[in-house]
Amino acid sequence: MSELLDVRVASVRQLTPLVREFTFEAVSGDLPGFSAGSHVQVHMPGTGRPLCNAYSLLSDPQQRQHYRIAVRLQEQSRGGSRFMHEQVKEGDVLRLSPPANLFAPHSRAGHHLMIAGGIGITPFMAYIAALEQRGGSMELHYAYRSGLTDTYLEELAARLGAALHPYDGRAGQRLDIHQVLSDQPLGTHVYICGPDSLISDVCQTADALGWPAERIHWEAFAAPEPGEPFVAELADGRTLAVPGDYSLLEALEQAGVPVPNLCRGGVCGQCMTPYSAGEVDHRDLYLSDSERADHLMPCVSRGKGGCTVKLAL
Amino acid sequence: MTTAAMLSTPVYRPVLPPLPAQHRLLVVQHLALPETAYWQQQLGEEGVPVSLISLNADMEQLCGSLQQHLSQARVGTRLYICGDESFLWKVHQQARQCGLLNGEIELIRTADSRELYCVHCSTLQTIEPAPLVHCRQCGLQLMVREHFSQRLGAYMGVCNDPFAPYGPTTTASASLEEQAS
Repeated sequence: MSELLDVRVASVRQLTPLVREFTFEAVSGDLPGFSAGSHVQVHMPGTGRPLCNAYSLLSDPQQRQHYRIAVRLQEQSRGGSRFMHEQVKEGDVLRLSPPANLFAPHSRAGHHLMIAGGIGITPFMAYIAALEQRGGSMELHYAYRSGLTDTYLEELAARLGAALHPYDGRAGQRLDIHQVLSDQPLGTHVYICGPDSLISDVCQTADALGWPAERIHWEAFAAPEPGEPFVAELADGRTLAVPGDYSLLEALEQAGVPVPNLCRGGVCGQCMTPYSAGEVDHRDLYLSDSERADHLMPCVSRGKGGCTVKLAL
Repeated sequence: MTTAAMLSTPVYRPVLPPLPAQHRLLVVQHLALPETAYWQQQLGEEGVPVSLISLNADMEQLCGSLQQHLSQARVGTRLYICGDESFLWKVHQQARQCGLLNGEIELIRTADSRELYCVHCSTLQTIEPAPLVHCRQCGLQLMVREHFSQRLGAYMGVCNDPFAPYGPTTTASASLEEQAS
């Protein structure tokens, strides 16, 4: 596991009633560099539990003095976004995992087609900065609800001009995915960040239009959903009761059983763990059906209805 | 005796049913190939437009015409190449240069013949599948390795036995005469 970074909250801005922006600076020394599409995990102390969420870095990757993230308050929050909105103040010190990138712009794309839903705009803020420097060809389709999730809209309009295609859901403006995907020059790669429904709509439409998987890149909001409490049994015979609002990964971490992890949202494959018994509710987007027979992703997946899952840990 | 397949050995998978597409491009080595009409019909089945390009003895012309098609193309264009192995990879290379990805190119192999590259004299030659052949240019007995070069569209031929480079108990001139007869 990499060394955690100590950062100070340099500024906090409320951008919309639902979105709060945080700027972090290093407590000492320099912040590690990062590339467009990277995220950091923010460790949230004092919540009485090992809460830790991944957020995309939206600042310009060339800017090494600070990191910036934006957090949307989630109605179904297990406490992470609420903690960020209600507890974190300017001057506080937080711990971050170093930046990791699971969603980089493709280096050989001739044109970058970005599709964002709501807070899914965040990684694209860094994309746009990086692509502007490279002189990369790009367009952004941004679906939001005005006054709630229209984060950075004015700045984007000024920066992108005609390359910005805004869709205000509150005004009934709809993004026509089929139309957008059916007229893209060869060499285009598409990037999607937003709610699962948007990602699956774009992927299915692209598929039906003959887009190969190599041109389609997406990042879901990485946060485990709460579920039923269940029991995890470790190889040494210890048992852990996993509460409904804990992920298995968090329960393991709290019990002093570290598991390597990167995204905490079921997409990267880092925390893949073998298991030998128990009925698992697989909620990841990583494992194949055959792998699921004896592996699970503890960052999001859970035991079904109170059962005991035997882990090879 | 054949040498084992390697990572570079191409695998030709069945193309049917064709993957969804907005536009399909069919490039054939000969218009007269029985496969041409068959694939034209198969690929156009759901009303997807199919463009046909054929090799009229001039590879350069074919590449120019492919380039022209692809410069106007939209994502959702799929390319189907139909011909012998060496033809498949020449067109494949051109298509990759025009911006198509591997996942957008399908290869339909119409002949068993292979292209062989002699590492001793650099001669490219067409051979029938066999583990050992004599190089047409330098006469060495070559072992046909399964290592495949996509750039050359050819397998690698290396001297089979340095102690009997022209094969068991034959001389270079004899083996070349044998081939000529």
